[in-house]
Amino acid sequence: MWRLIAQALGKAAGYNKGRSVSFNGPFEANIVPWVAGDLGTSLGVATGAALACLEQRGGDVCVCSFGDGTANRGDFHESLNLASLWKLPIVYVCQNNGWAISQPASSYLPAPIAQRSAGYGMPGVSVDGNDVEAVREAVAEAVNRARAGGGPTLIESLTFRGKGHWAADHALYRNEPVLPRADPLELLGSRLIERGEAEAPDLERVRTGIRADVAAAVERARATPDASRTELGLNEVYV
Amino acid sequence: MSVQVGASTARPTVRLTHKEAIILAIAEEMRRDERVLYVGQDVGIFGGAMQGTMGLFEEFGARRVRETPISESAMVGIAIGAALFGRRPIVEISFGEFLPAAMNQLVNQAPNLHYMTGGSARVPVVIRTRVGDGPYGGHPQDYSAWFTHVPGLKVVMPATPADAKGLMVSAIRDDNPVLVLEPMSLSNARREEVPDGEHLVPIGSGAVVRPGRDVTVVAIGSMVPVALRAARSLESEEIDAEVLDLRSLAPWDTALVLASVDRTRRLVIVHEAWVSGGVGAEIAATVAESIPQRLLAPVLRVGALAIPVPSGKLRPLALPGASRVVDAIRSVVRPAEAPAG
Repeated sequence: MWRLIAQALGKAAGYNKGRSVSFNGPFEANIVPWVAGDLGTSLGVATGAALACLEQRGGDVCVCSFGDGTANRGDFHESLNLASLWKLPIVYVCQNNGWAISQPASSYLPAPIAQRSAGYGMPGVSVDGNDVEAVREAVAEAVNRARAGGGPTLIESLTFRGKGHWAADHALYRNEPVLPRADPLELLGSRLIERGEAEAPDLERVRTGIRADVAAAVERARATPDASRTELGLNEVYV
Repeated sequence: MSVQVGASTARPTVRLTHKEAIILAIAEEMRRDERVLYVGQDVGIFGGAMQGTMGLFEEFGARRVRETPISESAMVGIAIGAALFGRRPIVEISFGEFLPAAMNQLVNQAPNLHYMTGGSARVPVVIRTRVGDGPYGGHPQDYSAWFTHVPGLKVVMPATPADAKGLMVSAIRDDNPVLVLEPMSLSNARREEVPDGEHLVPIGSGAVVRPGRDVTVVAIGSMVPVALRAARSLESEEIDAEVLDLRSLAPWDTALVLASVDRTRRLVIVHEAWVSGGVGAEIAATVAESIPQRLLAPVLRVGALAIPVPSGKLRPLALPGASRVVDAIRSVVRPAEAPAG
């Protein structure tokens, strides 16, 4: 985790040697790197990763997460159409938070995204994106279908945007009040307690532990040197 | 294909057109490496645009020769994704005019991934396409220079069947994204000797195709035979032109060009694409920066006129031909005799 934070801080120890602050993990962990500033091209790249999964016949499935704004890029259409045609093992998870930077969904989405799946001949599922268990169930079903050769699934995970698009964005363009909404983790926690599967102090211990881990990782990342000339990598553009 | 013994070496050769040489290179690499797959439109039973994939589908089947919808961005995108996870895809964009439809993948993704992941990702993708004027007259716009601007992409444009094979094999084995541009006017040109068996031409190396003393003519793709014609026609005027085939547009053979110009002290650059912002501008600038004191005459560029390349009878008026190259060479070698204006 500390290396991921180092990456966000532009440190030499980041996975990308300070060259890109995107939150993509180590490529070795089979996470498709996201480097382009444009939207939607990663849909095509993820679809190609699914083609590699199919070719390698190891039962791997690619999960591609993107936003409701990105769903309007032509790459969405091209990729889903092609993935369905070739029955590629991929799950497209669109996190619809109702906003694309300053624009509300009413300005760019005339119909639910899940409905588009019909045009590509693949299942489309709408799920409460704040319900961890519902999302897990929907994705698991799609992964199983993909692994069995049933091709891709489009999941529209409905959620909300609590703050601005970036840290310093006060979202002054939102004229309706941002209503307090249930945090997915709080929702899951209270459900676990209701069902007697956990007790409040257990969850608090988990939370405290994670907070401490994150704080330690941030501290460790901060203490490392910033990326500098060595990381510029003038001879590292090509393999 | 008849196997013959080449004249200059003992190495067996086959006689192939440019297009046949590219198909042979792809087929040999697909036999050699099962990770190589071919992705494109009309590459199935039809045999590819301009019959450019003839025989591949029959030999390798629908799993390794994959026909796609008309979706250039997704085609290049899936090639990048499959390459990141261990495959070595060749993606065919039928014509260079369609490259802009995949521009994001070509300039924002493919060239950046290796560097931006701190070296952990590799994108061994070949993008194959056809550019310029050709036998059927369609899709003549040549945007090749755009792709030489971006660090991380390699761009090659072979002008002979032997180089077409050698550069395609090198492109397939390269761990970087490589754009292979096939000049359409040469696709079905006459058969020439191509080394049989393994044959690689290093990416980034140009070639002296005609040695000469008086002027260096750097030619690219379809303009290599045109420059050679121009050079031959000037023999009678006792002008001895050296013709270089650049072969690789990015990276290009700076050392070869500088050494040649250092000797001849004059430079003309010829490409079918437009002059403005073109590959010739980069070469001229590099020579001007490196050995300005060696130049005895201004560097001249010959390329398409600054209009969208038209069709029909207008086309030859817009594209560079041997007479324009001859004029350019004359004016740098014998400026006093060149016609005014």
